[in-house]
Amino acid sequence: MPKNKVVSLEEAMSHIESGMTVAVGGFLSQGDPLTLIHGLKDTDVKDLTMISCTGGFRDRGIVELVKLGKVRKLIASHIGTTPDVVKAYHAGELEVELIPQGTLAEQMRSGGAGLGGFLTPTGLGTVVAENKQHIEVNGRTYLLEKALRADVSLVRAHDGDTWGNLRYRGTASNYNPVCAVCSDYTIAEVEYLYSPGEIAPESVHTPGLYVKAVVRADLHYRGSSLSAC
Amino acid sequence: MSDIKNTIAARAAQELTDGQVINLGIGVPTLVANHVPPGVDVVIHSENGAVGVGPAPDALCSDPDRGNAGGAPITLIAGGSYFDSATSFGMIRGGHVDMTFLGTLQVDGEGNIASYEIPGKLVAGMGGAMDLLAGAKTVNVLTEHCSKDGSSKLVEKCTFPLTGAGEADVIITERALFRRHVDKGFVLEEVARGYTVDDIKACTDMDYTVSDAVKLNAYGLEE
Repeated sequence: MPKNKVVSLEEAMSHIESGMTVAVGGFLSQGDPLTLIHGLKDTDVKDLTMISCTGGFRDRGIVELVKLGKVRKLIASHIGTTPDVVKAYHAGELEVELIPQGTLAEQMRSGGAGLGGFLTPTGLGTVVAENKQHIEVNGRTYLLEKALRADVSLVRAHDGDTWGNLRYRGTASNYNPVCAVCSDYTIAEVEYLYSPGEIAPESVHTPGLYVKAVVRADLHYRGSSLSAC
Repeated sequence: MSDIKNTIAARAAQELTDGQVINLGIGVPTLVANHVPPGVDVVIHSENGAVGVGPAPDALCSDPDRGNAGGAPITLIAGGSYFDSATSFGMIRGGHVDMTFLGTLQVDGEGNIASYEIPGKLVAGMGGAMDLLAGAKTVNVLTEHCSKDGSSKLVEKCTFPLTGAGEADVIITERALFRRHVDKGFVLEEVARGYTVDDIKACTDMDYTVSDAVKLNAYGLEE
């Protein structure tokens, strides 16, 4: 494992190719890897399948890639906060697969944990259950949901070190930890970059072995300014 | 309008018991937090990854890394914590969230809830609602009794895609409260001020029975 994974945004983006499946952390712009998404905007990559809880928030996030025609399919839980994603779907420009939020998180976690899938009660009796195997365990019925894996994952963390150890902040954690594990090549943008050991080992949320490349976050691509509260 | 919403939220808050962990959906359910009865202490869970949610911060103190499931800024009370989505939905499915409050498009007498999609019109995604319905111990449906066109939202049978099958436990509108019992389905237990049992019958398409002890003038705005 290389001990210094810090690369330029361009170098990190060179690992993403047209036709790939890309998983993205974040939820309604909380913890969205906006630096990496903007990096992807500047490439020629297209025909992507993207896995993300939401399409972003209003005009920020994955919706920006959708508007550029780079996304063929979006696997998500909620696209209602990005009207342009809904519009692309209705126009037939974008395929959308909607998945319950907890199921999506567990599919990504399972994909990274070497599991084929898991059993959940979520979605029983709804369209989500159609054409899925129903399995009874101890008298209770569950759906078999299969794991998800991606070629590349894009995540954002508040703190990271040069090994790729990551620590998230507040509700910006959300899908980033499961996203970091579910692919072959995880790229992390970090707001604050530390030397190994500066983040206490007990405080590491995503161990560096999952992360292949670390990019300094462009703080321009963040929500409103931090407060003292 | 806001009076209708607060009437529903205030009655819904009476369902809370001390020590519960609760989840509030977007819209009217969020208002439940403003009506928690004195002496009742509940802990608010937000499915995007927080427990112990406190009052909203003032605008100058908002922080993009501290938001709720609707994207609005939050604070935490002392003892609250943040966690990732896999953990959060494990809490929900695992039965660690006692009660959830959500709005709906339709609800029917079998406890079916259709809250997330109007085919061809509104395609947004189910978000966390399916997990919450499947996992929370008690599901409270908070809704205006009728749509803007006057049709009952308490329908004979849900026609929109279901969010959960047989998951509704209590339905609270600005006009009435129905509670579902294992043996007899939904029972009309309370009628709000300004309405009669017959009024409720006239505006409700859902199957239900009337409790022998139905309470009139049970809640709602004072005259």
